[in-house]
Amino acid sequence: MRSLNNLTDDEDTSLWHDLLAGSAPSFEKLIDRTYDMLFQYGNKFSRDRELIKDSIQDVFMEVWEKRTLLNDNIPPKAYLLASLRRRMHRLAQRNRFVPMEDSHFPGIDFHAEFSVEYSLIQSEQDQLTASQMTSLLNDLPKRQKEVIYLKFFNNLDRDDIAAIMDIHPQSVSNLLQTAFKWLKTRWKTAISILLMLQFA
Amino acid sequence: MDRYQNYSLEEFVWDESFRNWVLKPTREDNEKWKNWLVENPDKELLLCRAAEIVQAVAPGAVFLPASEKREAIQNIMDNLPASETNILQAAKPYFTIQKWMQIAAVLLLFAGLGWSALKLRHPKSTNYEELVSGAGATLTEKHNTTGKPVSVALSDGSTVRLNPGSKISYPARFAGNRREVYLSGEAFFDIARYPSMPFFVYANEVVTKVLGTSFFVRSYANEKEVSVRVKTGRVAVFTRNDQDINDKLSTKELAGVVIEPNQQIVFVRETVKITKSLIPKPEIVEEKNTYNFNFDEVPVATVFAVLQKAYGIEIIYDKNLMNDCPITATLTEMTLFEKLDLVCKAVGATYELIDGRVIIEGKDCKI
Repeated sequence: MRSLNNLTDDEDTSLWHDLLAGSAPSFEKLIDRTYDMLFQYGNKFSRDRELIKDSIQDVFMEVWEKRTLLNDNIPPKAYLLASLRRRMHRLAQRNRFVPMEDSHFPGIDFHAEFSVEYSLIQSEQDQLTASQMTSLLNDLPKRQKEVIYLKFFNNLDRDDIAAIMDIHPQSVSNLLQTAFKWLKTRWKTAISILLMLQFA
Repeated sequence: MDRYQNYSLEEFVWDESFRNWVLKPTREDNEKWKNWLVENPDKELLLCRAAEIVQAVAPGAVFLPASEKREAIQNIMDNLPASETNILQAAKPYFTIQKWMQIAAVLLLFAGLGWSALKLRHPKSTNYEELVSGAGATLTEKHNTTGKPVSVALSDGSTVRLNPGSKISYPARFAGNRREVYLSGEAFFDIARYPSMPFFVYANEVVTKVLGTSFFVRSYANEKEVSVRVKTGRVAVFTRNDQDINDKLSTKELAGVVIEPNQQIVFVRETVKITKSLIPKPEIVEEKNTYNFNFDEVPVATVFAVLQKAYGIEIIYDKNLMNDCPITATLTEMTLFEKLDLVCKAVGATYELIDGRVIIEGKDCKI
């Protein structure tokens, strides 16, 4: 079942090879193809658009400067997302002028808010289902939410996600499983409440 | 594909390959799912419902305008240390038309078209050559030395029909958040609609700003007037010496004198004055509708209403006075002004053209 999205990924990979060989036009094309994805991902860590754009710029400048050293077997999308995440993480740490008492870093939390475009759904029942699903997604703990975001909304596989979040691939699977278990139990309750309301 | 037989709605929604097909369909996938539906016709509704949910539920995204993205990419490219081998390779345009269309579709709604009076200051020098040399970008110039109009295709999909003796300067690729061209002479513009990236025509003293429409600009260096006429859509016109020119250039809306189909702006060089009026031969704007100009004992107010709609021109008249004047007339095959002449004569009224509108001055025709 994998043939799916690979056509576009293949194109990214061939652009990646060309840019590592020094082609500026391929580099520009790859930036254009990945910019939206990076910008949206960066926005999950900071609301500051200029900061996000600066970080993306740094990521790409670094790719260009180190192009002779980079491995041409790395999946480009995952590599870019991972560098962006690291960079924004570092910036958040550096900008912590007043040391916080607790050990976690401010600003690096993953914030995503899911929503429903109701006009796309015809039946009222499915609208309710979607709304239910959305609020469950929004209630997920941050790391589980990030895994879901990368896997289902950016079409990345387990190893890519592990590289981006800097965790073991097995941890990615665990996070996904926990998330789905959580979604399923809530979903069941939500659905049965729904049914009760309908037949009440 | 067997595993899908007993899938529930929820399972489809979270199935990777199903999602991929819905969100980024490829021909291969379309084929695959179509075949599956042929074998499982009872699943069609379920599949549709799941697809709707997949499309409808998404993480919130911040809006990133095309112009902002392009600027950011340009910034990266401009800051690259020169590379020995590829510095001379020209970058290919990286925006596909489809992408532009998508963005244009999202931004299609724009509102609040401003109308502000023109304030003129001491004229600055505004001739074509100086404007072109001060443009700050590398421009291509097309000079029509033939006896016939020639077509010029711009990189955004817009086209310009350049009349004989006219010249236009434009960039090979539009950069930044404006599309800017320079004209000397006369041309008809058919502009692709990208509201986030307004299109500007600098014709000597006059600046025309549009979001996407078609219009004529006439600005010969040796003529006393500069004029702009609209065919479809609406455009804003202001002068180079407008003291609020920077605001008018930068706003996403149409600021300045806004003109619509069948209206024109004439800028008189000597008096530095701009006036809005009707073009000499207004045309019917909505070709889809066929209007019936045969009137039989119809109140004259109704006749004016039909004309107003057909030509998209405001006709101002006193409804109370005009409602009781029935007229019978056949107005087909006449220009707008001939029609107005005839109707006014029939009810003893006169009309004036003020500010691109028709004002009817009439008497009470009740006896």
